[in-house]
Amino acid sequence: MLQLSAAIAGLATGGAYALMGLSTLLTYRLVAVVNFAQAAVGAFGAFAMVVLHEQGLPLVLAVPAGLAFAAVLHMGLGVVMVRWFSEAGEGVKAAVTIAVYTGLVAVGLRLFGAQHPHRFPSPFDAPAATVGGVVVTWTAVVTMVLAVLFAVLPTVLLKHTRIGLLLRALSERPTTAELIGVRVPRLSMVVWGVAGAAGALAIMIVAPQLASDFGSQALLITPALAAALVGGFRSFAWTFAGGVALGVLQGLASTVTALQQYRGVLPFLVILAVLLWTRRGDRWDSVA
Amino acid sequence: MRDRPKAVTLAVAAALALAGCGDAGAGDTVRIGAIAGLTGNFITAEVVKTAQRVFDDANEAGGVNGKKIEFIVKDDAGNPQRTAQVARELQDAGVVAMAGSASFTDCDVNDAFYRQSGISSVMAVAASPKCFQSPNIAPVNVGPFTLMTAVLLHASQKLGAKAVCNFTVVLPGSEDAVKGALERWEQLSGQRLKVNDMTVQQSGDLTPYLLKAKQAGCDAILFNPAEQLVVPWLQAAKTQGMTDVDFLLLAPAYTDSVAKAVGSLGLNVYAGSEFEPFTSDSLANKGWRDAVTRADAQATAFSQGGYLAAKFMVEVLKTVRGEINRDTVNAALRDMTPIEDPMLGSPFVFGPGESHAPNQASKIVRLTGLRWVVVDDTFITVPD
Repeated sequence: MLQLSAAIAGLATGGAYALMGLSTLLTYRLVAVVNFAQAAVGAFGAFAMVVLHEQGLPLVLAVPAGLAFAAVLHMGLGVVMVRWFSEAGEGVKAAVTIAVYTGLVAVGLRLFGAQHPHRFPSPFDAPAATVGGVVVTWTAVVTMVLAVLFAVLPTVLLKHTRIGLLLRALSERPTTAELIGVRVPRLSMVVWGVAGAAGALAIMIVAPQLASDFGSQALLITPALAAALVGGFRSFAWTFAGGVALGVLQGLASTVTALQQYRGVLPFLVILAVLLWTRRGDRWDSVA
Repeated sequence: MRDRPKAVTLAVAAALALAGCGDAGAGDTVRIGAIAGLTGNFITAEVVKTAQRVFDDANEAGGVNGKKIEFIVKDDAGNPQRTAQVARELQDAGVVAMAGSASFTDCDVNDAFYRQSGISSVMAVAASPKCFQSPNIAPVNVGPFTLMTAVLLHASQKLGAKAVCNFTVVLPGSEDAVKGALERWEQLSGQRLKVNDMTVQQSGDLTPYLLKAKQAGCDAILFNPAEQLVVPWLQAAKTQGMTDVDFLLLAPAYTDSVAKAVGSLGLNVYAGSEFEPFTSDSLANKGWRDAVTRADAQATAFSQGGYLAAKFMVEVLKTVRGEINRDTVNAALRDMTPIEDPMLGSPFVFGPGESHAPNQASKIVRLTGLRWVVVDDTFITVPD
């Protein structure tokens, strides 16, 4: 019974992980960068929102302002990527984002303080239903719905629209796309902006239920990458499933005495297991 | 090979010269050192600012033994390498003792160094078990371990809790101290913890722990982390409808920002204070409030530690007859008469022991509206 309750409680966190994983996947699919700084950029947007809200700005204005802030910040990262690293390999690009992550965390801790928590507004905090002894809030429902939207919309967009075709061309062959007349820099800036805002939205929603300091939220990138890896950095549907499963697993693990102290490392275990499974066909001595 | 004795002689001469310089510099003032986080993740600048005010006041009143006190504060930015380095810089500067330190790595990193170099430290804010286990360190605050026992005693004695549960984030190196504090409560109260989970993780959702508590029927729940986890913890408890449970917190959660963030949830929240509760306008706090205002520092519980550590150090320095140096200060601390202070429930004393934990008393505050209010105006003193 406790297991069931914990698993249901884990669904809410799982939805959040899925949301973060999907926005990371969005960046990867559209501009071919494994972005370790995705959650940190999102946290910047979320904290900007909180600070503005604390200054008296109503939530309906503070949220778009926070999203815009994250979008601009992410575009800044995009400019660096497009200008200096557009021909570099994925490894190099990922390394650049790790450096950016470290920098953003240092600046974020300075600006928003690690000591005293900001109170994240949670407008959907009212209980929605009681399932299996757990009170499920509207936040959990909204998170889940958003995660499903994040999973479905990009798939439809990429597969069935002209802009989706251009975006695929942009991510797979940027130079060729530019040669045939796609306005690559402008299009990729839009993509960077949207992905940044999406990450910020994810953080804004999950922030009230997790440790409310900047560092912890920037670290949400670990479960996000685990979720994206379950989707093979390709499938939006599997990334969604991976994120939700990870949340449920963490909930379950905290009820098993032998496992509870390892709850924090579960994302890494998932990453390891997925890598071992997807690489099971590879042979150590084979020539690449 | 033949050059070596010469080199050694030179080095020794240089060292002697340097040591001589240090002594000459320390001659006209009494140097007291402190390590605090002035930058970094955890800022404790208000602690040393308040201590500085106390020393300045003492100097304006004529100093000690006709000499001025020079308070040297070093920033370790919460970085253990810096913590080790600045302790050595303070030794080189010729400090006679440490007072008012508020660094969370100080005890773990520097305990051995203080023992070797014969430096005593009257700490303002101590959080690690090592701070309470050294012959050279005596903190003025209660510390997280004794405070756990005190808060649990409040639940079992005053709140009439029958099913007390504990959820603890254990920091590396403090597991034994936490266990000791819990056992001490079990012995004093004759009760046993209904649930004792010492594996709480700082990442992820906290709801599963609360579900566990709910299922076990806990009527009082102790939770030890600092502000950034306490806020989501209480928010999740509210979501799960745990309005009839008493939530017990430790001093790191007793802050104005926590009161503002979760005061409106309508839960029963209690916290243990390190000293006379800093939000109280009592007579006991008058001296500290005056000092912290004139120091233009933030009035936090930590700044009370800075005030008390500096005040006790001045009183001890005044008892030194003749030259004030490390040895005479150590002797004065060893032989001092316990100092009663209205901000403390048990007198402060350094003394000759192998370990020091003079402060064994806490007052309990309760979250009422958006403020912390003192529940009971007597200190809960944890018996030996």
